[in-house]
Amino acid sequence: MTMEEMKNEAETTSMVSMTLYAVMYPVFNEVKSFSSLAGSEVRSLFGQAEKENPGLTQDIIMKILEKKKVEVNFTESLLRMAADDVEEYMIDRSEQEFQDLNDKARALKHILSKIPDEINDRVRFLQTIKDIASAIKELLDTVNTVFRKYQYQNRRALEHQKKEFVKYSKSFSDTLKTYFKDGKAINVFVSANRLIHQTNLILQTFKTVA
Amino acid sequence: MKEEGRCGVCFVFVLCEPCIVSPFKRVFLKGEKGRDKKAQEKTTERRALHTFSLSLPDHRIDPDILLNDYIEKEVKYLGQLTSVPGYLNPSSRTEVLQLIDNARKSHQLAGQLTSEQDAVVSLSAYNVKLVWRDGEDIILRVPIHDIAAVSYIRDDSLHLVVLKTAQEAGVSPCPSTCPDLSKSMTLGSLSESGAVLVEVCCLLVLAVDNKAAAEELCLLLSQVFQIVYTESTIDFLDRAIFDGATTPTRHLSLYSDDSSSKVDVKEAFEAEASTFSFQGSLEAGDNSPSPSSTPASPQTKTASEGELSTTATELLQDYMTTLRTKLSSHEIQQFATLLHEYRNGASIHEFCINLRQLYGDSRKFLLLGLRPFIPEKDSQHFENFLETIGVKDGRGIITDSFGRYRRTASSASDSTTNGNGAVRGDGDVGGSDERLAPSEGDEWDRMISDISNDIEALGVSMDQEGVTP
Repeated sequence: MTMEEMKNEAETTSMVSMTLYAVMYPVFNEVKSFSSLAGSEVRSLFGQAEKENPGLTQDIIMKILEKKKVEVNFTESLLRMAADDVEEYMIDRSEQEFQDLNDKARALKHILSKIPDEINDRVRFLQTIKDIASAIKELLDTVNTVFRKYQYQNRRALEHQKKEFVKYSKSFSDTLKTYFKDGKAINVFVSANRLIHQTNLILQTFKTVA
Repeated sequence: MKEEGRCGVCFVFVLCEPCIVSPFKRVFLKGEKGRDKKAQEKTTERRALHTFSLSLPDHRIDPDILLNDYIEKEVKYLGQLTSVPGYLNPSSRTEVLQLIDNARKSHQLAGQLTSEQDAVVSLSAYNVKLVWRDGEDIILRVPIHDIAAVSYIRDDSLHLVVLKTAQEAGVSPCPSTCPDLSKSMTLGSLSESGAVLVEVCCLLVLAVDNKAAAEELCLLLSQVFQIVYTESTIDFLDRAIFDGATTPTRHLSLYSDDSSSKVDVKEAFEAEASTFSFQGSLEAGDNSPSPSSTPASPQTKTASEGELSTTATELLQDYMTTLRTKLSSHEIQQFATLLHEYRNGASIHEFCINLRQLYGDSRKFLLLGLRPFIPEKDSQHFENFLETIGVKDGRGIITDSFGRYRRTASSASDSTTNGNGAVRGDGDVGGSDERLAPSEGDEWDRMISDISNDIEALGVSMDQEGVTP
């Protein structure tokens, strides 16, 4: 896959599609437990529809919530649900470096998903931020290790994805600075969701290129 | 009129005014009346405190005051206990009061509270400073990161605020509260004998007038901690991201063995450097020359965006951005001067020391950003220097205080030895097995020159814009 194709893939799998894999995939897995065929079909159909119309799944979910008069902070809920592994994004190579990549990505997503629980207690939240910092560093170190160890023709695509991840990490840091001034937690949740999405894209990129 | 002085001397006073005043009065002016008068004189002589009104009920203060100013409160300084066992629980009223009572009995702390203990505590985001109320002589200064805990203890009419702080010599075999151990025993002999070495701390004991004053002081310190540790935590996050992003897999000019891509990296790096400088010049409205390369053509820039490694662009852009935000224009020019001197033959040691002085303690992490720009021949010294000042792998105050990141880093980065036997950490730039060929060394020289020029131009443009941090 060329870099251009990777970019397009990433744009298609944009942030709005996070609802599909974070909210709906666990639902499809449950359906699968009753009927493997039905679960696979509905998953495939939703995937196709989301690809053609990014954001469709989110719109459906929002409408359902509205209809049922369920008052829930969607962004916060999405963040809480986003830590789960997404099969499509997990690297299935057995080498230690790739397993480390899966592990580090999982660890980072897990800590980010805890933000809603910690954000109201300053001391605990500061500790969470330090944990996030360590997790980001560990993930990037692991990415660098893979770079060093393996030669890829499409290395630039991987570097581009790493660059994007770094960009969103910095954006997350900036959002935190603003949060400590204005106290608007929702922006932190949005930024954390974006960072989780970028983490998944790193895995997806390595899965595709490696 | 006759008045007996408290000293017991009976003397004749003035019968009517204005009459001759007895000389005895002047000589024997003692007693409570005299003391009161002196105290009153003292009070009227004392300067007003530098204070601000605080929002109730939680005594909120504008963080800018703690960051860029300070606030003073009146206290009584009872004294400082040293070599207190570090495991002292600052929340335990019994434990703390026991120590204080023992100290007062042995006269290590003031017993009676008089105006002689009057002091002023000055709070800012940097330190807690204690000075005598009269004369303003400094008693002590405690950096915020040395404060472990603050306690308020009410003991009948006494309102104590106790600060648990670090002690210079962190470990003692013979804390003051453990008199059983022979003081003649050395540290070594104690270790050999199986004695337990304990970490020790200090207790700074203050008294205030009432509960409200104590709570105010505690809440102010709490806000100081919030500011300091929030800032430090965000800095820690920034350093972690920066360090992870700026740890290239290979030397910048050796991203690929393919010579054509090396050329691409070189062109792209020039393009980015010149573009930045060109933009800086535009902002300044001056005609300061851009570095050796010409402004990038759109085609080159477009082509290079895709080809340039993540690290090269990130490094340059990030470091420039960071300098703008962290240094004043004067400091940027100083930095440029130091970089220029280094490039012209000053030793790496001198460069490191001067930079460390320039950045100070709060900005020493900026040294990390220089890592990729240090030539191979000096990289080992640079890395060692980073380690001695505690910024290697993003270490700093927070990691020393909390320790967690250090463990993580050490588990993640196994040391490897280079060909010269020196030890370096994982992911360092310019590995020993990737020594620069002379042409690549020239490449580095040129890149460093570009950066120096850009930084100097940045300093000039900031001066002209009148930018202050």
